[in-house]
Amino acid sequence: MPATYDAIVIGGGHNGLVTAAYLARARKKVLVLEKRPRVGGAAVTEEIFPGFKFTMFSYVVSLLRPEIIRDLDLPRHGLHVLPLESTVTPMENGDYLAAWGDHDETRRELHRHSPRDAEAYDEYGRLMHHMAHAVRPILGMVPPDPTSFDPRDLLALLRLGSHFRGLGAERLHALVKLMTMSSADFLDEWFETDVLKATKSASGIIGTFLGPRSPGTAYVLLHHYMGELDGVFRAWGFAKGGTGAVSEAIASAARGFGAEIRCDAPVARVLVKGGRATGVALENGDEFSAKVVVSGLDPRRTFLELVEERELPSDFVSDIRRFKFRGSSGKVNVALDALPSFTCMPGVGRQHRGAFSISPSLDYVERAYDDAKYGEFSRRPYMDIVFPSMIDPGMAPPGKHVMSVFVQYAPYNLNGGWNDTKREAFGDAVIDTIESFAPGLKSHILHRQVLTPADIERITGLTEGNIFQGELSLHQLFFMRPAAGWAKFRTPVRAYYQCGAGTHPGGGIMGASGRLAALAILGDGA
Amino acid sequence: MNPARWDAIVIGADVNGLVAAHYLARAGRRVLLVDPRAAPEPRADVGWVPPEIIRELKLPAPGLAGNQHDPWIAAPLDGGGRLELRRDIGASVEQIRRISPADAAKWPEFCARMRRLAGVLEALYVQPAPDVETREIGELLRMGRLGLRVRRLGKQTVIDLLRILPMSIAELLDDWFGNDTLKGVLGAAGVWHLRQGPRAGGTAFNFLHHHVGSPAGVFRPPRSTITTVLAAMPGVEIRWGTEAAVVAVGGRATGVRMGSDEYSAAIVISSADPQQTFEPLKAQLDAEFVRAVGNIKSRSIVARGRVKLERPADYTVLCLAPSLDHLERAHDDAKYGRTSARPYVEAVATDGRLDLHVQYAVSIDGTLVEKVAAALGVPGDQVRLDPPAGHLYHGELTLDQILFMRPVPGWSRYRTPIEGLYLCGPGTHPGGGIAGAAGRNAARVILKET
Repeated sequence: MPATYDAIVIGGGHNGLVTAAYLARARKKVLVLEKRPRVGGAAVTEEIFPGFKFTMFSYVVSLLRPEIIRDLDLPRHGLHVLPLESTVTPMENGDYLAAWGDHDETRRELHRHSPRDAEAYDEYGRLMHHMAHAVRPILGMVPPDPTSFDPRDLLALLRLGSHFRGLGAERLHALVKLMTMSSADFLDEWFETDVLKATKSASGIIGTFLGPRSPGTAYVLLHHYMGELDGVFRAWGFAKGGTGAVSEAIASAARGFGAEIRCDAPVARVLVKGGRATGVALENGDEFSAKVVVSGLDPRRTFLELVEERELPSDFVSDIRRFKFRGSSGKVNVALDALPSFTCMPGVGRQHRGAFSISPSLDYVERAYDDAKYGEFSRRPYMDIVFPSMIDPGMAPPGKHVMSVFVQYAPYNLNGGWNDTKREAFGDAVIDTIESFAPGLKSHILHRQVLTPADIERITGLTEGNIFQGELSLHQLFFMRPAAGWAKFRTPVRAYYQCGAGTHPGGGIMGASGRLAALAILGDGA
Repeated sequence: MNPARWDAIVIGADVNGLVAAHYLARAGRRVLLVDPRAAPEPRADVGWVPPEIIRELKLPAPGLAGNQHDPWIAAPLDGGGRLELRRDIGASVEQIRRISPADAAKWPEFCARMRRLAGVLEALYVQPAPDVETREIGELLRMGRLGLRVRRLGKQTVIDLLRILPMSIAELLDDWFGNDTLKGVLGAAGVWHLRQGPRAGGTAFNFLHHHVGSPAGVFRPPRSTITTVLAAMPGVEIRWGTEAAVVAVGGRATGVRMGSDEYSAAIVISSADPQQTFEPLKAQLDAEFVRAVGNIKSRSIVARGRVKLERPADYTVLCLAPSLDHLERAHDDAKYGRTSARPYVEAVATDGRLDLHVQYAVSIDGTLVEKVAAALGVPGDQVRLDPPAGHLYHGELTLDQILFMRPVPGWSRYRTPIEGLYLCGPGTHPGGGIAGAAGRNAARVILKET
């Protein structure tokens, strides 16, 4: 029987959609199968309470690759990014640290805390900018296999080596530091103001089960810095309509190229014949055949659930089994009848157009990690709070607001496991902590939704609720992602590919994995 | 100023200073070695002595080898008795089987895999760190040869290297084993002299670093008497009890100041802490370099000490680190600047006394001494803990401070911005816990250049 489709993509998350769009753009006949009623995976906007729309899981946009926006013409499909203008960190003593959209204003603010740090800030910014540029080509390349003797791999490794050597000594050394240090140690070399280091280091812990003093977090810092590149967004931003609008824009582009997208279509397994993927079977028993099957799910689901173990080499199976997920973040979505006033900056104003970072000191964030390390949620967690309705009024009824709180740490493997009581206790810890910086908040709460890593896993399917489809730790990056020898989007099963964030270069609403996977598939002549 | 009686003056008669001095002397240079201490310490040298040094300096091998304890570690078990691990892999398997048959079955394979990786480190350690910025064909060839050598060890070793070196020791051990006692004993080697807990990335590297020079199945560094042997060897004049500082004029080392005397020499080699070495020279160094030296992380967190024993211990080496969580919690205290409420203690029995390693100790006080005494079951007045005196390795062995990043990025070849001044201590590649490799590498660079 001839294959009905050229390619079937399992999972309509943003990477799956990007892969589908690129394949369809190359005139392939593509089908996307999504288990939920809407596309987006963890990048969805939902009306959780009547009139209040939330970007349920992920909440800011900035990492989306500019070439994808260009290739898929996403603005024409409704992508509109609104800038997130500031970050305010309330301190325990009632003071604050603020970073504003205006560079000079930020410098003056830093100067208030430390003239030395204000001096170092520009130099630091320049270095990180250069570093992000140095790493950028890596994000756009298929990782070579360091164990292979294939001349193409050797050549790619040599090129990689000469790319790094071409950076020059100073930048190469900085890169080694970023790849290996903790964000706290790295920032210690630059700054003296604790609250500045705490707030900066927070982007080094997002999505990881590590504290700011754990080596490896400096890399995550850099990973998030990529968002500030390219002059496309210049800074973190909101998508108008929430992150779901990003997914919808990509889906619309894919449909425009002729791809077919089916929701409410959960895939049960990949059909394999003679070591070759031939199609998929849905949970309802329907089967579809295709020349190529692509999984946008995380590595554990892609390999340990969708295909039979006997189709895979045993070494590979054990590599995938020990691939680390360890979800560590939760999300609290709150509907408000009015905006809260923070003690450090009373009233309602432009500060609410940006983020509030609950990271008053390095020790504060580190202690939040300590709780999680031993299986408890943080009693006083690190939080990143935004009010999307301030930027995009369409997110809430007139005069009302939505507050989106990204929280760390909430360990997936909570002592005794997650249940309704624990979830609410976690939600209380979050609200109580914010209340301590913004008294009166509680009286404005109309509804709240608390999402633990267990909820994120249940709803989106992301294993252990890890928002990056696997930790961004050094031994799980580049040619090790998801396993050594299998980082080129191919899998041990012929005609079966992977395109999720569990492959190089990893998480964030970046789309790079999806694009590279599509290019690899097209390169293989599918 | 005294006339130049010496071609080279070496500061620091520790193992690396001695090795460097003897290599120079062997090449016909007149060498003076100075050390601020009153006399050599009788302490055993911890760490691998590369066989190249024994061969090239014609050292009496029997005085250096055979000093590995066996069993190399003993750890108390919850239900009484001890887990004793030996050199003999089969004997260790039997021991581990009593607490975990599954772990026992994996022991031989684990030992073999770790040994292969330590072998790669050994090859890297007996030469200067690869110079990744080089454009010189010779250096590129050397790196190529190293790369080929690693790849010839097979695909699994390449993957292990890439995967394991940046990992945490906890992740590595969790991949292999289930038993807490076993993981505690092994995990302790991963945090040795690091202000990191076992869940910190790079601690798997630290574990392998301390496996260097030991046979498969022994995860503590070998011990030797190389310092004593070298100090007694003719060819190098040693002056004890003399504080020495480098003297430099216009960015060039001219000699060494000892008390009120100055001795001139064209070459000065320091095995002292790089931060200490450069302190008096700051005015002659550029700001970037001074900043890089200031950024060296060398946070001392180990208290060393002794216990006088009334009767011989019934163990060779005792490790009190009952689990990875125990080590992690001990480290949690250190993170916030406190001494561990429940520290990790290791005691080595030698000559009627115990040599102690207590981690994480920020400062020494009576409570800590009492805790250590109670843990070891000895009277408190028999325990002596030395106040922490700088980092033993002159720089933590974290991934950002090894190879071409050690002691500071771009200056890993024992040279310094001060012409004629070289470094040869544990602050340079390959770092502490390796006996003499830095001294030998430095001497070879110096002999080639001058």
